[in-house]
Amino acid sequence: MSHVDTEAGGSFVRSYLLTGGRTRSDAGDIAIEAMVAATDGSEMPRDIDLAKIYQLCAEPNSIAEISAKCSLPLGVARVLVADLWGAGTLEILETTRSDDIAIVRRLLDGIRKR
Amino acid sequence: MAFESDNKPRPVSAKVVISGGFGVGKTTFVSAVSEIAPLRTEAKMTSAAAGVDDNQLVQTKTSTTVAMDFGKITVDEGLVLYVFGTPGQDRFGFMWNDITAGALGALVLVDTRRLDECFNAIDFFESRDVPFIIGLNQFDGAPQHDPEDIREALDLDPSVPIIRTDARTSDLALDTLVQLLSHILESLSAAASKEAAPVHHVPDDREAPVVTDGMRTAAMSALAAERTG
Ligand SMILES: Nc1nc2c(ncn2[C@@H]2O[C@H](COP(=O)(O)OP(=O)(O)O)[C@@H](O)[C@H]2O)c(=O)[nH]1
Ligand SMILES: [Mg+2]
Repeated sequence: MSHVDTEAGGSFVRSYLLTGGRTRSDAGDIAIEAMVAATDGSEMPRDIDLAKIYQLCAEPNSIAEISAKCSLPLGVARVLVADLWGAGTLEILETTRSDDIAIVRRLLDGIRKR
Repeated sequence: MAFESDNKPRPVSAKVVISGGFGVGKTTFVSAVSEIAPLRTEAKMTSAAAGVDDNQLVQTKTSTTVAMDFGKITVDEGLVLYVFGTPGQDRFGFMWNDITAGALGALVLVDTRRLDECFNAIDFFESRDVPFIIGLNQFDGAPQHDPEDIREALDLDPSVPIIRTDARTSDLALDTLVQLLSHILESLSAAASKEAAPVHHVPDDREAPVVTDGMRTAAMSALAAERTG
C-alpha cells in the first residue's frame, strides 16, 4: 500500500509564524490520537490553514491525521487545534485511559471479527 | 459555513505502538492492519523550538525531522484504534513521548538476525510498565530460533508473549494485534486484582514525560472551565 506522503516542507516557517512562535499552547498537550470535531453551529475560520483544519473536522479526525492531511508538523497542528478549541470552534473528543479494561475488551471483540 | 448535525459520531480513541529496530517491518505492519492508506506525519522542532531564535530555528529544522507512520482501525461507531509506528531516526526523543503517552500497549518487532536492535525499545516499555509483546518477523534466510532462546537472549520476563508474525500479511498482522490486546487485557486484569498502583508509573528523569493521563485530564478540565467560566 502506498503512502500518503505529506512533507511539511516550505510551509514550516509560515506555520511557525502562524502560531506566533508557540509550538505548545496553554492548552497543554493534547494526545496525538485525540479526535477533533467541528463544534455544532460554529463558523469556519477565515485563516486558510485554520479553515482547512475546520473542514477536515466535519468528520472527527485525530491530531495526527490533521497533521498528516493538512501537511502541518505535529506540534503546529496541535497548537492550532488547541487555539480553535479555545475559541469554541472545535471540540476535542475523549481518549481512552491506558488502564480501561472495558475498552480493551471492545477492541479485542471488534478486531477478532476482522 | 457551519456544520450541523444531531447525530454526529463522537468516537473515543485509543492507540497502540509498533516498535523495533530499523527495517524490521513497522511500516509494513501498520499498512497491513490499517483500514486507510497509512499516513505519515512529521515533527520538526515542536517542543525544542520554544525559545530558539529564528536563525537557529531554520538550522535545527534541517537537522531534526522525524517522521512516523500510522494507521487506523474503526472498531465500532464509537471506538477507533490508532496504530502508531515509532520513528526510526529519533532515538527515544520527544516523538516517543507523544507516541507512547497513554498508549494501551506495544508490539516490538524483531528480526532474529539483528536481535540487539530491539533492546532499547524493550527497555523503554519495561521502564514505563507499558504492556508489550514480541513479534518475530519471518525474514527470508533468518534462523528459526526457539522462542525460549530468544527470551533468554532478550532477558525477557516469562509473562511477555513471544510470537511469530509476518508484517506483510493482513491476517497474520491482525492476529498479532489480537494477541497484543489479549496480553494488555491480562496485564490490566492482573494489576486490577492486585489493586496495584497506576499502570504507567512515572518514568525516571532521563526521559521526562510529556503527558500522563492525569495531567491530560487536568489540563482538559482546566481549559473547559476557562471556556465556560
Ligand atoms: N520476509 C519479510 N520481510 C518483511 C516483513 N516485514 C517487512 N518486510 C520487508 O522488510 C523491509 C523493511 O520493512 P519496513 O516496514 O519498511 O520496516 P521499518 O523500517 O520497520 O518501517 C521491506 O522491504 C519489507 O517488505 C516480514 O514479515 N517478512
Ligand atoms: Mg518505517
